[in-house]
Order: sequence, then structure tokens, then C-alpha cells
Amino acid sequence: MVFFGGKKKKRKGLYLSDKPPLTIPGIIGLIMSYTVLFAWVIAIVWPLFQMVVAAFNGRQQQNIMGNANFEFSLRHFEFLYNETYYMLWVRNTLFIAISTALLTLIMVSFTGYAYSRYRFKGRKASLMAIMLIQTIPTFAGITAFFTMHSIVSSIIPAFSRQMMLILIYAGPAIASNTFILKGYIDSVSTELDDAAKIDGCSNFDIYRLIIMPIARPMLTIIALWSFIGPFMDYLLAKVLLTSPSTYTLAVGLFTLISDFRTMNQPAFAAGGLLTAIPIVILFIVLQKQLVSGLTSGSVKG
Amino acid sequence: MKVIMKNLGKKYEGRENFTLRNINLEIDDQDFCVILGPSGCGKTTLLRMIAGLNSITEGDLYFDERRVNTIPPKDRDIAMVFQSYALYPHMTVYDNMAFSLVMRKERKKLIDERVKEAANLLQIEDYLHAKPADISGGQRQRVALGRAIVRNPKVFLMDEPLSNLDAKLREHMRVELVRLHKNLGTTSIYVTHDQTEAMTMATKIILLDDGKIQQVGIPEEFYNKPANIFVANFIGSPSINIIKGKFREGKFISETDTITLTPSQEDAQLLKAYEDKEISIGIRPERFESGGEFGDTFEATIDVIEMLGKEKTLFATLKDGSDLLISTPGHFEYKEGETHTFGFDINAIHYFDSETGERINK
Repeated sequence: MVFFGGKKKKRKGLYLSDKPPLTIPGIIGLIMSYTVLFAWVIAIVWPLFQMVVAAFNGRQQQNIMGNANFEFSLRHFEFLYNETYYMLWVRNTLFIAISTALLTLIMVSFTGYAYSRYRFKGRKASLMAIMLIQTIPTFAGITAFFTMHSIVSSIIPAFSRQMMLILIYAGPAIASNTFILKGYIDSVSTELDDAAKIDGCSNFDIYRLIIMPIARPMLTIIALWSFIGPFMDYLLAKVLLTSPSTYTLAVGLFTLISDFRTMNQPAFAAGGLLTAIPIVILFIVLQKQLVSGLTSGSVKG
Repeated sequence: MKVIMKNLGKKYEGRENFTLRNINLEIDDQDFCVILGPSGCGKTTLLRMIAGLNSITEGDLYFDERRVNTIPPKDRDIAMVFQSYALYPHMTVYDNMAFSLVMRKERKKLIDERVKEAANLLQIEDYLHAKPADISGGQRQRVALGRAIVRNPKVFLMDEPLSNLDAKLREHMRVELVRLHKNLGTTSIYVTHDQTEAMTMATKIILLDDGKIQQVGIPEEFYNKPANIFVANFIGSPSINIIKGKFREGKFISETDTITLTPSQEDAQLLKAYEDKEISIGIRPERFESGGEFGDTFEATIDVIEMLGKEKTLFATLKDGSDLLISTPGHFEYKEGETHTFGFDINAIHYFDSETGERINK
């Protein structure tokens, strides 16, 4: 930025932008755009800021008070750690999130690749069916899920409610991401597959060694989305999980603000803050993978 | 290695007609065989069948004595260069070239040797560690070739490998490919729609159209003895002049009587059977002459002149309004709008049966 700034100064008087010069209505429009954008930013950042402040404020009692004095303390975090099942909830959520992400990733890899590269009977019909079924919200099937779980768990006692939840999260994720991945793989030239076949790859090798590395940005996003899902969902987890020790973070934290007798809003804020950490870490780690444009240069030029 | 096709046919799933049928061919060891044809004629299908990427619906494909119909591509001992190069974008040039050997679980040292050798041959040593996205089109082309060479294949398949290069580079790569072919001594099969590539590179051309073989032979035969009107039209630029007419009393007379031509004695013998029948003559643009040395002449008005330097192409119109292409050396003086008298070199006339399109003076 400094470099460009310096250059600009030297050429003072020369109009270098490719856009037409701003007119008065243009300037007004620009100001309005920025006003809206800043308002938006404030709407998002202010509550977050309040949450962070409240989480670290030792003066806060049961209810978060806007005008309370500030005193730095980790009291609310200690409360979470000592008085609630917080660590258990973290473990549960991570277990469910990681399992969902893995399951989705593996299944979508197969389905996306198959739908993109193979021609088989019922290909179009099944794609259509998947699309249509998605219009029904998952929650509509909650009674069916209950029955299914009780049937399966009577045969396999190890099949817990959490596992059922993983399946419920992964199901729609697989369906919708199949489309996304299929579209992405469609854009990869089939000549790469042919070349790999001649080079001695089996169908699975082609996916593993050629297609998967190329589709990595997309796979990363899919994994990220399905990982975040369980962190965000409250409804399904609330209905399906009944004992506090099996709760996920969303359900568990809600118990801190759902009843006025056990109300602890600052602890809720602290828990929310901690919840963000794994997701933020994941984003930072995967940032490089998310960068797309890997296919350029494979074909033509 | 010899490649032999017996009655080869291909029908795609969901299509009514055969894309290719009754293909009988024999490609000799060390041949540089070019499969030529307009787009949609099935030439790429044929190549992919040889590669094993497309199944064979009927007939047999032999590599030497081995029937390879059902053998997967990797076991056919072939290498293929694709139109789009199909380099693996996430691997370096080195890894791209080494990939097939790695898949075969060769020793690391051997792989390294082979890759370096091929890189040296193609002069791409400097960017062995670059990604395909970081090198130019011509360099990618070389890498694609290198990837094929490294395998040390018995048959080298190429699917329009030069079509993505600019004109100058294409000319250069043509020569280089021929040189490479001579160096390696493998059988090469090359698919293209560009007749210049076919004429300049091939030791054997196969011209396909409409799923059938139109002619097989050396480039010279294609130019001087096209087997039918389609071949005559396809080969040669500027393209051949075809004039429709009748054979009457030992002479060829065009439909509107503007052109009369007495064939050479040899041709007259063969044409006897066509007395009073519809025939067409074909004459290459450069086989007209202006002296009237061979008797029959005609008048033509020059509409447009294309100056190519070493030659001029005259777009001329006959009295009846039909067009004619005449090419003359570049230093001859012609002006647009002029009317000139031209004659034929009667030893260079191709006679075709108008009905079947087949050549008469074989």
C-alpha cells in the first residue's frame, strides 16, 4: 500500500483508474453504500463485543447488565468448568462434529465422483429425487428418527442417540454436497481420467490420486460446513438427547439461560466464546486449502 | 509393434447407428500413421479404441499377435498424448512424468534416470520442478510428450496434440515430432483434422469419413491419386477444382459446355467405358497453364487475388458463372478484373465417376 501510495503522489494529476470519474450522484451513492455496510458491521460486531466483555467481567451476576463496572476475572469460565458438564459437552460436540464431517466427506467423495463420471441407469432420476427430498426439512422426520433409533438400538445396544444424531446430520449434508462436488468434478477435464487410466490407475486410484487433490478446496469447504453444523444446531439435538451428560454445546449452554432459577448469562457468554475457538482454529488451518484455482493450467492455456 | 484391425466396429450406448464399422487396417512397426478426417468422422473414437479407453463393439484388435480387445489400457504398452495435454495440475512436471512409472512401482533410481533422459531429449530440464500452471503452452506440450516417452511404449498415440499451439510453434513441433519418432522408433498413431500435419508428418495416412475408410496410403498418393471426390476435396490447399460434366465422343464436356477437354491417350483408354455417362474431372489449382500447350483452353475472369508471397491464388469465374481456383507463381502479373485464357495440364487430370464419386483413371 505504501509503495502504491508513493507512486500515486509522483503522478499527481494523472487519472489512472479504469473507472469513469465520480459524479455527485456517484459520490452520494458511495456514501450510502458505506453507511449501510458500516451499520451492518456494527450490528454484527457490537453484540459480539458485549459477549466478550461480559464473559471476562467478574462483576456480572446472573443477568448481563449493560452498564455494569468492569473487573477482569475468569470466574465465569471456572463456573463452566466446575459446576457444569461443559467439558463433556465439548467432547460430545467434537465427537459428533468430527464424525459427521468424516462421514459426509467419505460418502460425498464417492457419490460426487460417481455422479460426475459414470453413466448408469437411474442417474438422472436419483439426482432429481435427492434434490426434491431436500425440500422437506429434516425436523419433519423427527418421529421417524425416534422410531428408527429405538428399533436399531434394540438390536445393537451400542447405537446411541448421539450416533443417531450423526446420521441425521450427515444425511442431508451428503445429499446437498453431492450436487456441489459433482458440479466441481464436472469442471475437471475427463482427459485427466483417461491419462491416469493409461498411466495405470484403477478407478479408485483416479479419485484418490488425481481428482481428490484437484477437488481439495471444495472438499475442504464441505468438511468445514458439515463440521460446523452440529455446533449450530439446537433443535434436533435438544429433542433427541435427553440426559445432560450427552448434550452438545448448543443444548448444554442453553440450559444456562433457559430457566430463571439457574440463569447464568455471563457463563453462557463465556461458553459461547470458547465454542468459537475450535472453529476459528479450523478456519486458520484450512485457509490455504480453501484457496481455489488449482485446476488452472492442467488443460490448454 | 504392428497394430492390426479386423472388421473393427463401434456403437455407442444409446446411439442408433454405428460410429465406425468395417475398419480393416494394418499399421506396420515403426510407421508414423496419421488418422485424418473431418470432425465427427470417428477418428478420435478409433484412437480411443486402440488405447482401450473405449470398448470395441465388434471385430478384433491385435498388437502383433496378441488380441487386445479386452485388455485394460495400462497393460497395452501404449502411451497417449491428449489434445488438452491432460497434465495433472497438482503435481510438478517431474511428478507428472514419473507418475506412470511410480504406478508401476519401478525403482526410484530408474524412474529418475528415465525422467531426466526424457527431459533432456525434450529440453525441459529447467522446469522439472514447476507446476503445469506456471509454464507456457509449448512447454506443457513437451511435458505431455515427455510423460509419454518415459513409459517407453510400444505404441505412441496422439490425439490432435498440436491443435492448441499457435501457428509458428505448431510448424516447429511438427518437425520435432517426426524427429522424435525417428529417434524412438516406436509405432506412432496420430489423429488430426489438419491435412497439412498429415501430409508433412505421416508415412501412412488413413482418411476417415462417415465412419468409413476413404483411402489408405502414403501422402503422395493422396495428393496425386485421390481415390474419390471426397479425398480429392479434403487434401490440398487451396483445394482442388471439381467440374461436373459428361464424357462424349472421346471428350469431356462440362455441364454448361464452357469447358471441353481431350484426355491424354492413357486416360482415354480407361474412359472408354464411360461414353455418354456423367463424370467429373478434378484439377489441382497449380496444374493450369497459360500457354495453350495441350490444346483445349477456356476463358476466365479474375475476381479476387490472394497474394501468399511465393504464389498467388486467383479466384476466377467462368463464363457460366462457376468458380475456379488457379494458383500461379507469385511473380506472375495478374490483376483483378482481367480476363485470361487458361489451359489444362492433361497429364494431371483426375477423372471421377459422378455417381459413385470413385476415381476412374487408377
